[in-house]
This record gives sequence, structure tokens and C-alpha cells, in this order.
Amino acid sequence: MTAPVVVAVVAAVYIALAMLSGALAQEATDAWSVWLATPFTLGALLVAPRARWLAVLGGAAIGAAVFSWLIDPGRIAWASGYAVIEVLSAIAGVFAARTVAPVPLALERPRDVAALVVAALAMAIVGGAVGAGWTAATHSGPVAATFWVWTIANLVGALLVAPVVVTWARFRAKRSGGLTMPLFAAGAIACLLFLGSLQLLFGPQAFGKAGGTVGPTLTYPPILFMAIVALTWGGRGASLTALAGALIALFNTAHGSGPFAAVESFAGEANLEVQGYASVVALTGLLIAALSARERTLWREARDWRTRFEAAIGAHRLVAYEWDPASGALAMTGDTVPLVGVPASGIATLADWLAHVAPAERDATQTAFALRADGGAVTTLAYSVQRGDGTAVALTDEAQAIRDHDGTLHRITGIVRAA
Amino acid sequence: MTIADATAVAATTGASTEAAPPVAEGRQAPDGVFLIHGLGGTQYDLGSMHKRLKNAGFVTHSLTLPGHGTTPEDLVRVTAEDWIDAVVAKYREVRDLHPTLHLMGMCMGALLAAALAQREGHAKGRLVLLAPPVYIDGWATPWYRDLRPLLYAVPGLRQRMKVEEEEPYGIKNEQLRAIVKAKFERGENFHYRWVPLECLRQVDRLRAVVMKGASKITCPTLVVHAREDELTSLRSANFLVEKIGGGRARMVVLEDSYHMICVDNDREIVARNVLEFFGAAMPGATSILANEPKMSAEDLRAAVASLVECLGRGDFEAVRALGIPDLAWVQPGTNRVAGAHAGKSMGAFAGRMAHADSGAPRFTAFGTPAFNRGIALVPTTLVARREGGALESQGALLGAWHAGRLLEVRWFPDDVEREDAFFGPPDPAAGGPSGLEQEFETATAESRTLKHAPGNDELLALYSLYKQASAGDVVGERPGALDMIARAKFDAWAKRKGTPRDEAMRGYVALVKDLKARDTAKA
Repeated sequence: MTAPVVVAVVAAVYIALAMLSGALAQEATDAWSVWLATPFTLGALLVAPRARWLAVLGGAAIGAAVFSWLIDPGRIAWASGYAVIEVLSAIAGVFAARTVAPVPLALERPRDVAALVVAALAMAIVGGAVGAGWTAATHSGPVAATFWVWTIANLVGALLVAPVVVTWARFRAKRSGGLTMPLFAAGAIACLLFLGSLQLLFGPQAFGKAGGTVGPTLTYPPILFMAIVALTWGGRGASLTALAGALIALFNTAHGSGPFAAVESFAGEANLEVQGYASVVALTGLLIAALSARERTLWREARDWRTRFEAAIGAHRLVAYEWDPASGALAMTGDTVPLVGVPASGIATLADWLAHVAPAERDATQTAFALRADGGAVTTLAYSVQRGDGTAVALTDEAQAIRDHDGTLHRITGIVRAA
Repeated sequence: MTIADATAVAATTGASTEAAPPVAEGRQAPDGVFLIHGLGGTQYDLGSMHKRLKNAGFVTHSLTLPGHGTTPEDLVRVTAEDWIDAVVAKYREVRDLHPTLHLMGMCMGALLAAALAQREGHAKGRLVLLAPPVYIDGWATPWYRDLRPLLYAVPGLRQRMKVEEEEPYGIKNEQLRAIVKAKFERGENFHYRWVPLECLRQVDRLRAVVMKGASKITCPTLVVHAREDELTSLRSANFLVEKIGGGRARMVVLEDSYHMICVDNDREIVARNVLEFFGAAMPGATSILANEPKMSAEDLRAAVASLVECLGRGDFEAVRALGIPDLAWVQPGTNRVAGAHAGKSMGAFAGRMAHADSGAPRFTAFGTPAFNRGIALVPTTLVARREGGALESQGALLGAWHAGRLLEVRWFPDDVEREDAFFGPPDPAAGGPSGLEQEFETATAESRTLKHAPGNDELLALYSLYKQASAGDVVGERPGALDMIARAKFDAWAKRKGTPRDEAMRGYVALVKDLKARDTAKA
């Protein structure tokens, strides 16, 4: 995308999300539950190359000024000031994230999730503080209330919107690979259960109006569904599902329904509770998805390492083994078929291996292994094994002992090759 | 295209038509196979099929499909009709060059081969469809696969949206997958990393053509498909076999591969089934009887006479010239000339038989041959003489021919131990490749990893040294002046005539090392 296109897209999305945020404001108090626009800017900065930051910030500034003008026409200074606050808070967020993890973020490690949370906090606090300062300077409203509403609405918004931007910015269509259909189906079921249960709970039905602690207690099961979505769909699906679910909860609570609105001991309590709930759901999904992604990364690294190792010993026609003298277990790696006619998976103990040694040499070989187990210095052996067709293959077997800190034998590891 | 360009393309993607083996006067022209690669791919998709078919005596033809061999962006403007027109044009170009022309395609190439067979009413040979993606429904296809018709409708998106390749790259074998992944990371031009969405739309259109007209395919057809194909399920193969008809079509299901069946774990099974299906000249006693010899009784008698004439002189190198590249000689016993010598090993065997240490063996006292289809059994005596000993071993030679070319010779002596005693125990090192041969093989593999295309002269030097080292002195007729590339390659090879094999291998290894060093310096 060229810079002007980036500016236009960011400005348009900013205005749309600002409008949506307005629609989610508390019906009774007109307090804003969640602010989605600045978090979009933050998300864009967290994934954009540095060369694009100016365009993103420019688009955000234009979007903020236009939105301010739309709700309060004719006040250029207000629009300009508001745009500056939005830009400053987004910059604060992205620089705070950089102190925890390098950007662009991928949200595939818990560290990235921590960086996102730090970014959200920094953006929310800076925005709230500067906004409150502006309010104080212009005597346009209650300063403390402005700070808290601004900060919390931005924080919740950042935990909902920024992950969507960060994860989906990396989306690339594939011919094959990635999320398989069975996993997608499992995630889709969990997603439907999550959204459906939230709608039942927060919608204007009997479930949402349950008195006492029943209503709030019923908000726990959807978190389980969120966890399944995160495990199956990963960060991309989890962030989008969390956003959709949060919008259901926030919208209904703002309009006086749902378990949090049923009992309110002080004005704004339901709003605060649903904000906390949405944040917890979003963070749960992100953390599980990040841990799951981290596990997949480690699995891939282990697989690549194994592939390299097998390629190396395969190229040299070696077979590697690890023998536990205490249990007799023998783990072999490499292609044993040319040597003994059976795959390595078919050899589980030293006895299995010795069964392939030529009968005339078997006793001597067994004795040599026993000497190794007793700490004897039999490092290199030469013996023959028999293939299934009866032909013999002469081998050399080089081994070394692995000992613990006090010299006790732990394992014998060795390399076998055709002589 | 300049010679340099064309030679480079030939070196990296395979020449469009592999030089036919020389056809002796009066001998029937060899059968041909037209191979079609897959979407975004090259001849790499087909693994070693070109080589296997060539070694079995076929002439292979291929083409680089429109939009391929350059950059993925070039696929945006290509339509399914362009691909079909290209394969039809190539088919018509080569159809009359052979008594039999088989069709074979991999992935989208299989769809094109099927469409070609439909359109041209192909009856001049057989049809092999490898992993045809009639349905895009494999286990690793993404969840949004069925949304693509919606995306096609979004203006401008078809041309801009990239659809990428990702693990497992159609390969189940992790070692091979690692190699393919490394090739992608190095940016090697063996397969596009992505294709535009528009391209998938054209494949969908091609799928519709094949689905609609599959029942019009009338030639014998083999469909080879992996059960675990991650891109397209067995449903595709079942569909085709059902539509073409069980009488004409049969299916081979692979159990240990993903989509790229010609390079994955089951590649040997694929090659064997394809060669058998084509009635190929395959060494091996069991397949010999199954093969249609495509020779008259007179042809067979003449072929036996040629073999007898060579063996009577003890000229085993001349026997090689009578056979397919994979010609096998089976010499029984436990001695230094015993073993099954096929392909390049046959050359080493011929050299060993000519050596003075072996007593310059030859066959004599040929009896009356017995014939059966492409097989002849000739009673004879193997004689050899060297200082301190002589051999006279009676027995029978079994020879097998296909379309005038020798496939295999088996020697059955009455007394194997007598031959063991004369020739002496096997040389332990004789079975494996020499150090120089190993270096040569390594250099051959390395030559394919060069990031920067060598110059025109270097490519020709590489080609000529390789051919001299692997096939010996130049054979065949010099190509015509219009075929500049083939002519330049032939001339370069001819200049090496008489160069010993070892010297050619050393030259090749040195040149590849030099190119590799310069390649690294440039990087």
C-alpha cells in the first residue's frame, strides 16, 4: 500500500471504530465503555514497518480530527488538540511495547502478549492523563472522571482491537498448510458456543437477569469456550472471537441487560465489571494462543533438529544408539535395514540387537557390552551382524560413556557403521 | 531467446524434448511420452520420471506452461485456455514422431493431460494422471478454500491477492521437505513461492472442463493418487476412474506420500507403476514376459544375431550399444565379475571383462536359439584365457528385447564354481562408487544449487564434461542448423571425444568447484 492509501485507510477505519465506540456507550450515563479507535492506531503501529509509521499516525490524526469535528462541529482547536492527544498516546504505546519485545509484534510468544499489555497500559494512561490535563486546562468537565473513563475505555479497547490488527496483518492466503479443516470445525463449534452463550447471558433474556450470584457465575463457561477457540484457531481466531464476544457483552450491558447490569450497587459498577470481563476474556485467549504457538514453534525446532541429525548420520551411513545398561533399553537412530534387515523402531533392547549379531560372535559381543556397562574401556568393537537373507555385514561400533557428576555411569552412546 | 537463455532454461528446467536415442536403420522409432508439470512448478514436479522414462528407452517431451519459468506475476494474464492451447500445440508437434505417444501430467498438469486427451481424442498411447486435483479438498487445504468464488467477484482482488505455498509443501518425507524448504529460502526458481488468486480461478475453470469431459477419455488411463494427499483427496481419483470407466481406467493408491508423489516416499512405486503401465522396457525376468515385445520374429532373430556377433568378439561395450540405457547384465557366481550390472554399472562391467586380468572372456560355440515373445535362449560357451589358466564354461544366455532394443542378458553357466575359481573372489571395493565417482555425484548435485546462471561457454563445458563422464563418447547424429541449442550441445560433447571417463569427471568436478566459489563470492 502506498502512503496516501495507508493514510486514507487508517483515517476511515478510525472514524468507523470511533462511531462504533459511541454506539457502545452507556445508555444511562453516556459514559464510554470501550474506545476502539486509538487501539486500532496502536495495532497498526505494532505491525507496520517504521517507514510507514508517519502515514499511520497521519491517518489517525485526520480520523481523530474529523471525528471530533463531527461530534462537536466548529471547534477547530478541539479537533486539533484531540488529534494530537490520539497521536501522542499511540506513540507512547508503541515505544512502551519496544521495551518488552521487538516490534513488529507477532503475538506468538507470551513475551509478545506482555508487550501488548504494556503498550495498552502506556497508551491508555498517556491518553487519559493528557486528556484529563486538557479538560482541566479548558475547564470542560470533571478531571478525575475524564482520566478514569478515558484510561479504562482505551485499555479495554487496546486489548480487544490491537490483537486483531496484529494477528490479521500477518494473514496470507495459502494453497495448503496452516489450519486444517478438522481444527477449523472444532474452533468454529467453540466459537459459536462462546458467542451464543454470551448472547444468551447478556441479551435481554431470562438468563441474563438471574439474580444473586447466578448471573455473574454463568459468565465463566464462555471463558472455557474461548480457551478452545484459542487452542484450535490460534491468535487470529481468538482475537477476533474475543472482540465479537466483548462487543456483545458491552453493548447489552450498556443497554441495561446482562448479569452485571442486573445488580448495580453504585453508578457505573456494571460498566466497570463488563470492562473487566471483556479484558479477562481477551487476555485469556491471547495467552493461550501465544503458549500454543510457542509450543508449535518448539515442536518445529525439535523436528528440524531431528531431521538435520538424521540427514547427517544417514549421509555417512551411520547408526547411532543410546543404551541404558540399567534397564537394557536401546534407542537406535538411523537406517538399520541395510545392516540387519529390520528398522530401528524394531530394536528396543540390547537383546534385540544382539539377536542380529552373528551367532559365532554373539557371546563375545555381549561380554564386551557388559564390560562397557561395568565401566570397562571397551570403546571400539568389531563384530558382524546378519541380515534376514543370511548374509553377514561386518561392523565397527564406537561408544562412549555418559556419566553423572560423581562419575556414575548413566548411558552408553555409540555409533555403528559398516566396516 | 538467445542460446545462453535457452541453454540456461534447458539446464534448469529440462529441455523440452530430450534427444532421442539413435535409431538404427530399419529399426522402429522409439515410443514417446509427453510430460506436463503442475501449477507454479517446473519439471522438478515430475521428479526423476524424465530420466526413468528415458532410461527405459522412451523419448520424453515437455514444455514450460505459459506464465511459468519466470515470475508469479506473469500468471495473472494467463487463462486456462492458454494452458490447454499450449499443450495441444506441443502434442500436435510431437504426435507423429512416434508410433506410440503417451501422456502424463502431475497435479494441474494431470488436469491438462486429461483435457488434452478429451480434446484430441487421444488414442495413440496411454494416459497417466498423477495426483489430479479434480477436487480441492485435501486434509491441509485451508478453511477458507470454499470462499474463493466470493473473492473472485471482488474487483481487482484476483490480480493482487497472493496465494502462498507453505509446509508441508506436498511432501511427507521430512528430509526431502527440508531440502524443498531450503530451496524456497534460497529463492531457487524450481517452483513459484506463490500464485495469484486469478490463477486459482483458472485452475477451477480447468477443473470444470475436466469434470465435464472426463467420460470422453477413451484411452487406457492410470490414476496415481496418495491417500494422504494434503491438497486433493482420493475423491478426485475415484471421480476420474468412475467417469472414464473401470474397463479403461485403473487407480494406484499410495500409502506413504503427500501430494508431490514423484518426489516423495513412494516415488519408486510411482515410477514402477508408470513404466509398467506404459509397457516399458523394464529389466527383470518377471516383467520381460509381461511386456509386449513389439518385435516380429524376424526382428528378434536379427537382434539375437547382433548380440551373438558382439559376444563372439568379446565386445561387451558393443553389447551396451544394442540396449536401452538401463541395460542389465546378470552374471552369476561369487567372483569379481559376478553381479547384476545395470545402467552405468554395465559400463564398468564391460571394462572389467575387457581387462587382461579377466582373460578377455568371449562367448563361442553358439547353439540354436529358442524364442518366446521378446526372449531368446542361446546355448553357448564362455571362454577366457590368461597366463596360468583358462576357462571353458558351458551354459545358456537368456536375452530379452523390446522394440528392437536389448533389455537384459542373463548368463546361466552349468558350473558356477568353475567361473568363481577362474575369475577369483570379488573385489570388496568393486561394488561401491570410487572416490572420484562420489566427488562427481556430489558435484552434479552442487551444480543444481548455483544461484547465478553460468555463462554460455561454461554451461556448454558443464554439459559436455557431464555427458562424456556419464555416457562416454558422443553418439547420434548432429542436430540440424535450425536447432541451434541442441547443435551447440552436441558439438561441445563431440569435442570431448576420446577423453577418458576419469579425466572428464575430474574436469567436471573442478569446473563445478570453480563456479561454486564464484557463486559464493557474488553472494
